[in-house]
Amino acid sequence: MNNSFLRVSIWVYLVIFFLYLLGPLVIMSVTAFNSSAFPRMTPWECLTFQWFGELFQDQRILNGIKNSLIIGAGTVVLSVAMGLAGALMLTQIWPKLRATYYTVIIAPILIPGVVLGISTLVFWDRINRMLGLGADSFLSNGIFLTVIGQSTFIASYCMLVLVARLQRYDVALTEAALDLGATHAQAFRKILLPFMRPAIASAAVLAFLASFENYNTTTFTFGEYPTLTIELAQKVRYGITPAISALAFLIVALTVFFALLNEAKLKRQELVAAARKKATVEELAGKIKLPSFFSGNMAAVLLVVFAVATITVVGTATAYNPGQCIANVKEQKRLEAEQRIQELRKQREEQRKKREAEEAEQGGAQQSAPKPSNNSGFGNVFAPNSLGGDAEEEGSDSETPPSNNGGFGGAFDPNSLQSDQ
Amino acid sequence: MSAGVGVDLENLWIRFGDFVAVRDANVNINGGDFFSFLGPSGCGKTTILRAVSGFLDPSEGKVLIGGNDMRGIGPNKRPTALIFQNLALFPLMKVWENITFSLEIKGASTAERRKRADELLDMIALPGQGDKLPSELSGGQRQRVAIARALCAEPDVLLLDEPLSALDLKLRQHMRTELREIQQRVGITFIYITHDQGEALTMSDNIAVMRAGVIDQIADGKTIYNDPNTAFAASFVGENNVFRGKIKQVMGNEALIATNRSGDLVARISTANQGKLKEGDDAMMFIRPEAFAIAPDGASGDHFVTARVTHEEFEGNVFNIFTEGDGGKEIKVSLPNLGQSFEDHTGQNITLEYETRNAVLVPAGELAAE
Amino acid sequence: MPGFLKEFFNRNGTGMGLAILGLVLFWTIGLIILPQLSMLDFSFRPNLPPPEIGGPKDVYTLENYKYLIYGPEGGSQSYNAVDLRVFFRTLIAAVCVTIFNLIICYPIAYYLGQSKGSHIRIFAIMLIIPYWINEILRAFALRIIFGETGVLNTLFMGLGIFDTPFDFIRNDIALYAGLGYAYILLMIFPMYNVIESLDGNQIEAARDLGAPWWRIHWRVVIPYAKPGISSGCTMVFMLSAGALAAPQILGGPSSLWFTQLIYQQFNDNNDWPQGAAYAIVLLVTCILFVLAVMRLFKVNMGDIGK
Repeated sequence: MNNSFLRVSIWVYLVIFFLYLLGPLVIMSVTAFNSSAFPRMTPWECLTFQWFGELFQDQRILNGIKNSLIIGAGTVVLSVAMGLAGALMLTQIWPKLRATYYTVIIAPILIPGVVLGISTLVFWDRINRMLGLGADSFLSNGIFLTVIGQSTFIASYCMLVLVARLQRYDVALTEAALDLGATHAQAFRKILLPFMRPAIASAAVLAFLASFENYNTTTFTFGEYPTLTIELAQKVRYGITPAISALAFLIVALTVFFALLNEAKLKRQELVAAARKKATVEELAGKIKLPSFFSGNMAAVLLVVFAVATITVVGTATAYNPGQCIANVKEQKRLEAEQRIQELRKQREEQRKKREAEEAEQGGAQQSAPKPSNNSGFGNVFAPNSLGGDAEEEGSDSETPPSNNGGFGGAFDPNSLQSDQ
Repeated sequence: MSAGVGVDLENLWIRFGDFVAVRDANVNINGGDFFSFLGPSGCGKTTILRAVSGFLDPSEGKVLIGGNDMRGIGPNKRPTALIFQNLALFPLMKVWENITFSLEIKGASTAERRKRADELLDMIALPGQGDKLPSELSGGQRQRVAIARALCAEPDVLLLDEPLSALDLKLRQHMRTELREIQQRVGITFIYITHDQGEALTMSDNIAVMRAGVIDQIADGKTIYNDPNTAFAASFVGENNVFRGKIKQVMGNEALIATNRSGDLVARISTANQGKLKEGDDAMMFIRPEAFAIAPDGASGDHFVTARVTHEEFEGNVFNIFTEGDGGKEIKVSLPNLGQSFEDHTGQNITLEYETRNAVLVPAGELAAE
Repeated sequence: MPGFLKEFFNRNGTGMGLAILGLVLFWTIGLIILPQLSMLDFSFRPNLPPPEIGGPKDVYTLENYKYLIYGPEGGSQSYNAVDLRVFFRTLIAAVCVTIFNLIICYPIAYYLGQSKGSHIRIFAIMLIIPYWINEILRAFALRIIFGETGVLNTLFMGLGIFDTPFDFIRNDIALYAGLGYAYILLMIFPMYNVIESLDGNQIEAARDLGAPWWRIHWRVVIPYAKPGISSGCTMVFMLSAGALAAPQILGGPSSLWFTQLIYQQFNDNNDWPQGAAYAIVLLVTCILFVLAVMRLFKVNMGDIGK
């Protein structure tokens, strides 16, 4: 009785936990398909793919992606190399130095990213000056600084991943290779590296993702080369649009795709290994009957479902035109807004009369700005039943294209805008 | 035996910090010999092997292979191949790739390597298994692949570091014969490391007995068994009964010793100690269990031992009698089972008889742990 | 020491040995130690235009640290109340986020660590996926939810729980939820690793002896999982205290995070030495705090990162 109660509560807890974890991503992804200019799920207006189009026309985003890829590649190479060297050193360092060494190479994980960014910037700026180089030298290049700064701590992550596998490596294998005539470099390339390959692949993926999403360190070092994350942060801080949801959706979809792909591959490797174990000599020498890709492979099935869904969505997107729907919604909203403005005017009129009567001096801004775009005034006056957001949308729909909200938001103090939304 | 490449150790010392792993080792291994280092774990025998294969630099002294000093020459440049205790087969390579790794390093073509792999696979009686992974083979098969991989490098000296220790008893005994056959077929020098005296005795031309970094004795198996130099060699190789005492009188190559509990007994002084042991020295006398016979009651003299029987056991080929012995140790007597009748002596005193040539006298020294 | 080096080169070969040693030295000295020392040195210097650096005015000074405590010279207040308040609020909030994360993650880590079955792998993927998504986008997602017209407000008002939208952002709820959200994985994985290695029989034995479930956790599981718990807590605390993206996106207008002050010193005021001093204060305080808490709970530094 008590036991089953516990089990039920664990499941309820799991559901709530994963809702907290995945819910925001799902909601964000869904908002990418709502035609509302402010990313939201309710009220649902029209199914649209326009935000994807806007996303791909945004030069700053595209440029950010390019910089992120360059920096990511540099960081992967440098941090995997340093992480591997660090892990190799850890397994054979003088025992008395080991604890100190471990503390040093693990410390960057705990040092706040902001601090890493600053120290990188300050240190290389000093080196640059010591060498007498100008402000446009290689050492003060944003890509170089960002790769260096990110690698400082990403190499620690790589080291942890690599050392876990390295601990299972039998040094006798390298010795055997040397004994059979290989040079140290050959033994490393032919024996150790293939053994480490799965861990190196994991470390590289981890390093790339960490580099791609890094903000705290990069924000100090990027210089002339803003990464995608930096661009996103600028956009999000100064006003948000569903184009960002669209980007988020793409990243979520890619992530899920690769996670499933990886899982399916792992599962298949397991199945193949099991089949080989059972296979006879003749089967091995000739052709061994491998299990098909899908048998007993849940992830592979999901992968195919996922691929089909993607094709369907893309197909729909090319054929689908939400123009009529959007026009309807717009018209409806225009009517509603007009009605509200009239009510508002009426109300204001009454208020003004009242105030004039009381000779009050307040509320200049509210009285002189009946335009719906001035939503800071709106939000304060009305008991907002989702009205504040609607009004803002109306404004941005008619006045400025939503993708250009850097300029739109720039007019406001970013903090006050945040609080309004 | 063909004249293979010999290995010599000259005044070899190996230290790790303050710890001396090998102390002044001098060994001459003839070309084409099957030579074993025999000793308990931690005695330094693996260290010697690593010095020969080039993974360790000696602190002092020289390793000579075929007369050439090997100092400063790395393991990949030495004409040796090592078979590791855990075999160290490359787990991600197929069997044939494992076997021909040394050819891959030399840049041989795939076809050439395939051909050589097939030849070696035939030799080790694993034809057609080249495409398996090492993890898909049984223990004995892996063993043979490791040997083939080492032989493929065409070494002058094959070094084997307790390669049979992971196998079960039956397979181990089978592999002993097989290793010896392979050695005789290829005719190169084998240096074999083991703590199992059975392996050393059955396979080796010569054996070095090691204790705590020191080589006690180098000789062929028979000599080591019958004529040990030290108390350690006598007690480590095969079963032996020890009698402690002081030398009362030296008579040429024989001596009379006053034992702690069995009276005065006569023994043959081991060859290496002849002329060195003097009257009054502490000494140890060793008599093998199978060298005793039961004497008629009441017999006495300098080659009779009387002791109380604690228990007896029947082992099939032999019948064992255990009696109270010296310093808490039992005296073990093994009588061959030739169909005669055995009577139960438990609790009684019996008198045992031995021939003087079967009692070996060495200076008192450290005994091998059980 | 030369003995160690000689053995190192023997083992790795000269070329490989040099490559390994070179990379390790570049990383530890060039990327970790020297930049931190350089920043420390920088924090004791006045803010000078580039031509004057290294000149006669470039002397060591405590000015930047004094600023944090006393505020600008000749200022109206005797203490820099604004910055100090932000500093302590950041630390306290980071502690709260850490505790919040520990509480919500422990049951999950325990469940994942102690149950068997293929669904555990699916759960692991579901845990990792949000962590692969950009930090900014995670904060953005929460802003959609916590916004005035966001999902939560719509839901609560639809249910009639609120009659006016609740300002989650101004009340910092969005910020705490966002910080907690960002570091869930870093809390779960160290705990999971340790709990997974706990022999289920110990729990069975305790249950056999009649211990109620909470006592099993208190006396058996938690003491065993202590290294993982401390590892997770340390990482979450350090990362929340050092977070920049979440406060910038989810923070209310009145609630600055200390990292935002550092950011302002660097980017808006262009006062690098001042920013470096603030960064040093943040780093040193966080490290001392973690060490103190670790001593309090008797945990070793070596357990971190395992």
